[in-house]
Amino acid sequence: MSKTKINRRNFLKVLGLGGAGAALAGCDMPSTVTLEEGEEKIYSYLAPEEYVIPGVGVWYASTCLQCPAACGTHGRVREGRVLKLEGNPDSAVNAGKLCQMGQAALQAHFNPDRITAPLINGQPASWDDALALINEKASGGNVAWMTGTVSGHQRVLLDAHLAATGKGHHYAVETVNARAWTDAGKTVLGDAMPTLHLDKAKAVLSLGADLLGTWISPVTFMGQYGKFRAAPRGVLIMVEPAMSLTGANADQWVAAKPGTEAAVALGVGHLLMTKHGLSLNGMPNATSAFQSMTPAQVHEIAGVSEAALNKIADTLVSHSPSLVIANASHAAARIAMVLNIMLGNVGKTLTPGASIAADPLAPMMGSSKDLAEFAQNAAAGKIDAVFISGANPAFVAPQGLDMAAALKAVGFKVAIATCHDETTKACDVVLPLSSALEDWGTHVPAYGGKPGVVHLQQPLMEPLHADTRGLGDILLTLGKSAGVDGLDAFEDYYGYLRTAVSAMIGSELEGDWHRVLQAGQFETRAASRAFSAGHDVALGFSETAVSGLHLVTVARQGLYDGRHANSSWLQEAPDQISKAVWDSWAEIHPKTAASLNLKDGDYVRLTTASGAITTRVFIYKGVHPNAVCVPMGRGHTDYGRWANNGVNPLTIVDAHLGDWQSSEIIATASLVKIDAAGENRHLVRLMDTDQQYGRKLVATIPAQQFGRTQGGA
Amino acid sequence: MSTERSKRKPFPWVQAAVAAVVVGASIVLGAQIFERQLHPESAGVAPAPRVPGAEFPTDTFAGKDVEQPINYSHKLHAGDLGINCLYCHTYARRSKVAGIPPTAKCMGCHTVVGTDKPEIEKLTQMWQSNQSPAWNKVNDVPDFVHFSHERHLQKFLFDNPEMDIKNAPDVCAMCHGDMNQVGVAKKMKPLTMGFCVRCHESNQGPSDCTRCHK
Repeated sequence: MSKTKINRRNFLKVLGLGGAGAALAGCDMPSTVTLEEGEEKIYSYLAPEEYVIPGVGVWYASTCLQCPAACGTHGRVREGRVLKLEGNPDSAVNAGKLCQMGQAALQAHFNPDRITAPLINGQPASWDDALALINEKASGGNVAWMTGTVSGHQRVLLDAHLAATGKGHHYAVETVNARAWTDAGKTVLGDAMPTLHLDKAKAVLSLGADLLGTWISPVTFMGQYGKFRAAPRGVLIMVEPAMSLTGANADQWVAAKPGTEAAVALGVGHLLMTKHGLSLNGMPNATSAFQSMTPAQVHEIAGVSEAALNKIADTLVSHSPSLVIANASHAAARIAMVLNIMLGNVGKTLTPGASIAADPLAPMMGSSKDLAEFAQNAAAGKIDAVFISGANPAFVAPQGLDMAAALKAVGFKVAIATCHDETTKACDVVLPLSSALEDWGTHVPAYGGKPGVVHLQQPLMEPLHADTRGLGDILLTLGKSAGVDGLDAFEDYYGYLRTAVSAMIGSELEGDWHRVLQAGQFETRAASRAFSAGHDVALGFSETAVSGLHLVTVARQGLYDGRHANSSWLQEAPDQISKAVWDSWAEIHPKTAASLNLKDGDYVRLTTASGAITTRVFIYKGVHPNAVCVPMGRGHTDYGRWANNGVNPLTIVDAHLGDWQSSEIIATASLVKIDAAGENRHLVRLMDTDQQYGRKLVATIPAQQFGRTQGGA
Repeated sequence: MSTERSKRKPFPWVQAAVAAVVVGASIVLGAQIFERQLHPESAGVAPAPRVPGAEFPTDTFAGKDVEQPINYSHKLHAGDLGINCLYCHTYARRSKVAGIPPTAKCMGCHTVVGTDKPEIEKLTQMWQSNQSPAWNKVNDVPDFVHFSHERHLQKFLFDNPEMDIKNAPDVCAMCHGDMNQVGVAKKMKPLTMGFCVRCHESNQGPSDCTRCHK
């Protein structure tokens, strides 16, 4: 190379000068970009509405379906196409804000891998043929439904279809769920979804509830978090085995061994009783559970020091009212509820929830328990036919559930989907679904909405593909052919919905309907709940994860449970913790890595009792030394052109472990063995180094000094 | 083979600058000679219409004849019949783009006027089958240029005390030439950056890059 006269540096200089000269002189140069006469087409409107002006966007209200939170949205529509989504400022759920997954709904809509025609056994077919086949095969016997979280009139029609076809069951599957918290609320306080007042709390202790990332309604919590952090600044404490977005924002981040958050919570309760003199009246069971968990035991079980435990307890007492939330396990969630009673938070930062009076519209929230039950019932031959929409059981199910065999055991399977995935591939009939931006619907937010308010989903543009149909329309058609009463009067779901909403708002006037469309929501009768006195439930936890390396699978905002892996925007959006893009990785503590002689980028084989995956190591201090954290969402095999990367840790989660006193699949308790797989390749990350190399880009202080000034000291 | 790394020959700045100028100039001259489309001296003999209080750009451009789905005539509608540009291109004063008038506007007259003419029959057929004509775009700026019709009309027409709205065609002609003389459309001004910048300079338009390149 030394013989060439022009080196890279000089080549760039000449190129720059030449380019600049050409650009300066070339302002008058007709070029390919200015000589486009006749190259592009331009279409006019036929007879537009008065307010439609080409080049000027019109905002329409709708509802986001990217996760179960059901945020209100505004979509900008220009020249008949939806171009941008924002939060609906009038929605109490998200107050005008929208997360990255919501923004990416545009890509779900314009995805080039959309299904455009019905398929029978993988071959394109007509709707008539597909529906005839469905009528023949799925009209009697045990016809089940599997969906994600559903609410509103889609749920009403779905329930009606189930009732008309016979004895089928509705399985609502959500891998990322809050079932631990809602069950604990029901058991201890008699309310599954109590209202949290983060903004009124002076300290928040979260046991594995990633409220800023993926828990229940992240955008609601982000808004409240802003108020919680405003002066006087609230203190956030996070206990978890692997750092989440919430953990990264915490003042005190406590790394507990995987699955031992409950022990930490019991230890906090112990200190509150013995050190701070708090007590639980009329709850002897709980009291004895707290008394028997000493800080020394917590240290042994969870690896959390007595000093850290004392600091948590002291902060909760000095910053009253506080709030304790949990999603790590059923055990931890129950203890969190009882801690709230002990700390006197109930009625202050934890108040009874409220929803709508019309129960049939209430959200049916998904869980992984339903996934396991479906697999068991299907394998036992108890399900004759199943309709699957908004769920991907073939992807999220651990190998232990043997979902492939379970699906095979179901005689007739219908997938209603926008894009092909691992599940549609296993189905006999695939019906092409309209995107969320082309469809009608009503949605009742599970959390954070104004009581009694129903969100309306309206199409933001004409369907991109003529042969797709909305979920409501499909449900209406299925309902009609199953003989559901009263559906024959409606030609389409729009008509059904409009009649139903008119009845709910008590007006059939055109103007009132337009007001509903404009607002994106409408108010109906609310029903508020009440707390019962704290039930003295048994507290405890299963000591399955005290020693050894454990696999921790977590959901991150972005790919979520894998449903957004077919969005290149979300693949490209760096992970909140590792900043990695487009691939999977395993977060491992430096100590663990050193003991196993692993370097950053080393490929490792992670083996559990249920199987093995191979991915590369990302050495990170934000995981417990006993944990190997692999975020879920990647490792698709049939989910369009952008999803074929990474590995799916959900497949090797041990399905049969179960959580303490529940049958949820718990994602943090599978023993894992690490073997080096030989190769080393660089993990592509947005922020490739933690060093500033003396550039002072961000002001820093030593951790010890931080501990003295922040974090509830 | 020398292993010295620290000794580097000085960069030949003079040669590079000369080369750059030659390259730039040859591209421009080449374009002007071979494209034969940028001819300020070949401007039409007819006196250009003037907009009071504004410097009228004199550059011209010999655009192609572009075939269109319907042989509409600006000469007939705007020239002979004297219909104001803004009557049909009503979006120009409200939006970034001037827009093609909606077919409903055409049909406003043509349900009764000229219904026997073949081009009107073509239009009527499209209207009845809910189809828009697929016009071929003639005047276009690249996607990285944000040009606003609304802003330019505001300055030269509505905020201009000496302008009457009936003289709107004079303002349009600044960038579109004399549309009263053409059929469907013809590009009559170069619409290059140089054309824009010269007019911005003589009419005190903004000169910062980000006004147009957003």
